[in-house]
Amino acid sequence: MIWYLFLPLAPYLLWLLWAAAVHPIPLSYNWRSIWQRWAGTLSTVGAIAIVVMVFVVVLSMAQGVSKAYVRSGRDDQVVLLRQNARVEMMSSLDLGQARLVATHPRIAWDDVGPLATADIIVSKQVALSDGSGSLSVTVRGTTPAGIRLRSQVRILRGRWFLPGMSEAVVPEKMLNRYTGVELGRSFPMAGRTWQVVGVFDGDGSVFDSEIWTDVADLRQAFHRYGTDSSMTVRLRDAGDVPGFIRDMAQDVRLKLEAKAEPDYFLELGDAGRPVQILGQIITLILTVGAVFAAMNTMYATVAGRTAEIGTLRALGFRRREILASFQWEAILLTALGGLLGAGLSRLFNGIHSGTVNMNTWSDVSYAFAVTPELMLQGVAFSILMGVAGGFLPAWRASRIPVTEAMRG
Amino acid sequence: MKFLTLILRSLFRSRRRTVLTVASLAVSVFLIAMLQSLLGTMDALTTSAGSGTRFVVQDKASFTNVIPLAYANFLRQQPEIEQYTAFQWFGGEYQDPKNFFANFAVDPETYLNVYREEANLPSIPVEQVRDFLRDGNGCIVGQTLADRFGWKLGDVVPLRSPIFNLTVRLNIRIIFKGKRNSDETFLAFNIKQLQEAVPWMKGRVGAFTVRARNPADIPKLCERIDRHFANSAQETLSITENAFNLNMMKMLGDYSTMFHSISAAVLVAILIVTANTMAMAIRERTTQISTMRALGFTSGRILSLLMAEGLLLSLLGSGLGILMALGAADVAAKQGGALLPWLADFIITPETLLLCVLLTLGLGLLSTFIPAYRASRRPIIDGLRAL
Repeated sequence: MIWYLFLPLAPYLLWLLWAAAVHPIPLSYNWRSIWQRWAGTLSTVGAIAIVVMVFVVVLSMAQGVSKAYVRSGRDDQVVLLRQNARVEMMSSLDLGQARLVATHPRIAWDDVGPLATADIIVSKQVALSDGSGSLSVTVRGTTPAGIRLRSQVRILRGRWFLPGMSEAVVPEKMLNRYTGVELGRSFPMAGRTWQVVGVFDGDGSVFDSEIWTDVADLRQAFHRYGTDSSMTVRLRDAGDVPGFIRDMAQDVRLKLEAKAEPDYFLELGDAGRPVQILGQIITLILTVGAVFAAMNTMYATVAGRTAEIGTLRALGFRRREILASFQWEAILLTALGGLLGAGLSRLFNGIHSGTVNMNTWSDVSYAFAVTPELMLQGVAFSILMGVAGGFLPAWRASRIPVTEAMRG
Repeated sequence: MKFLTLILRSLFRSRRRTVLTVASLAVSVFLIAMLQSLLGTMDALTTSAGSGTRFVVQDKASFTNVIPLAYANFLRQQPEIEQYTAFQWFGGEYQDPKNFFANFAVDPETYLNVYREEANLPSIPVEQVRDFLRDGNGCIVGQTLADRFGWKLGDVVPLRSPIFNLTVRLNIRIIFKGKRNSDETFLAFNIKQLQEAVPWMKGRVGAFTVRARNPADIPKLCERIDRHFANSAQETLSITENAFNLNMMKMLGDYSTMFHSISAAVLVAILIVTANTMAMAIRERTTQISTMRALGFTSGRILSLLMAEGLLLSLLGSGLGILMALGAADVAAKQGGALLPWLADFIITPETLLLCVLLTLGLGLLSTFIPAYRASRRPIIDGLRAL
């Protein structure tokens, strides 16, 4: 979205580029000038670096949340929910419906059987490892087909759960933030004791926020005879998805809503929205402050170099060349800050945190995703600050009368 | 005080620079004040009036599970309990999922009693209460919520809940004014509707809110209740309402770390910006300062004059920032309160004000000290050489 801000400025920026290409005040002059007042330069660079860093890091949190969801879906898979249910936890479907769906000819098979699973989703309070209380975590009861369907999920240590044994596996990433669910330990849920027999990795998907166990065990423990939560199926080909969804909608026996997995997870990815909006507001406010600071430094630069400007004018440089030169200097200054800030923000990449998904009221863990795209946005942002903060001082520099300027 | 004019004159020697610095400081202090107040508001939520005498009995495994209504029999036998009420989060949507507000299915009679402070029960006309209790489709809504959708007494509100796959059509019977705006942002209706329409809700509730006669008894009661239901099919978890609210807030993520880190980062940024301005301002006046010292100003006096100037600069900036924050808090509470219920309570807390003022004082002193100290110690002859 930051790129749109460049649109109204495009003619000015193009002119600046053109001026840098053909006009004779070289950028190296600006580069040297910047370091002449190094204290002022460093302070501005520092302030802008901090703003850019805040911008990139906060947005990387939102990016991390949506990334967790985007990674979870496959183009050739479909989620089936009860009509009007927005998430798996709210959904319910009975085993008859599930059996009917699994017979659909477009569903893919592997050596073992159809790639279709009916899962049960419940939630459980799990204690945080920092001792500050407990959060609600999703528990998924699934089937062997459910494990094969989610190809990004791999077991790291231990083994998968066995049916009928009240066993569970937990994601590696959960162990950073939660306690009581480590490999080999057991936890109580619904009047039973569940043994943790394995640790898995969900490759950054939402499954990294879920405890998995056998669906039949969960069904019994929660007395959900005959009703599961949702179904996930893999189709023979991604092109089959629209046809399959249509079939599901038309089958009056089902009353189910089918959604392509990427669409389903995209809707849930909204969990990162509040952070994103917050980040944008914070950045906007900070930017105003940073632009003022940059303006201050540039005015000081212009004032300190009045004699130089006079000399340049006397040498025959025109007003607009002076303007372009000082504008470039401002952009150099802020872009330096932007690069520094973007570089520093990279240190935050991969930090784990969690937020609640308002639709399921359970915790979603995610990793800060400081992507090159975000870092580039940060630098672009600093360039905008340079344009905003540098224009007035540069304009002023170009308007100083030659005689006055020569006088110093 | 006699030097005030001098300090002001020097401060506005370069008007543009001072104004730009003050503006830069102001927006930054504004941001810090807003972020800190947001945290303060969240904290305040967990300490609402009357919540000290209440606690919540919920399912131990997850607050999203339902527990048997029959558990009330045990609650009824406890002499320390004044009253309890059953409730269930309904999650109903009005017209569009984006029109989010909290809505619960409750037991009407006990509910009004348990939440009598929040609902400001004595101020509700008797006939409204009577209508609410008589009408199975009746509901109670807060004034703020009613204003948001333009609801009046007697209006019909359809709510569709994706959790229960159920649509209820409710008649507004009470519109109450709470003690605080944030208490007025929810809707509650008779839980019978839910229990009759949804088979698995029959004889079940989401949780109980219990009001103890004496807050001192709460830990004892929680312990006794949880022990009683231990080893049953559904164990319970009894926690104070504050702890319950705190848990809800915590789920949003670690906002407090995030806000504190951002505040700290901003502070560093304005520290260097102010230090730069003061360094520039002092460097420009080298000659002037030397002249003053030649006239008999001691270096200590020069130092204090310059420090006062730096302090004044940062105080101007933070004063403006705080004023902006106070104005914005008002707008946020009015406009934002309609979107996010808890924002309705948004104020700049006195603690935040104090924090901002202290931070600015520190900032002013810290940023000015080094250039001012150097200027005050500089040999007079060096400074005068430029003349």
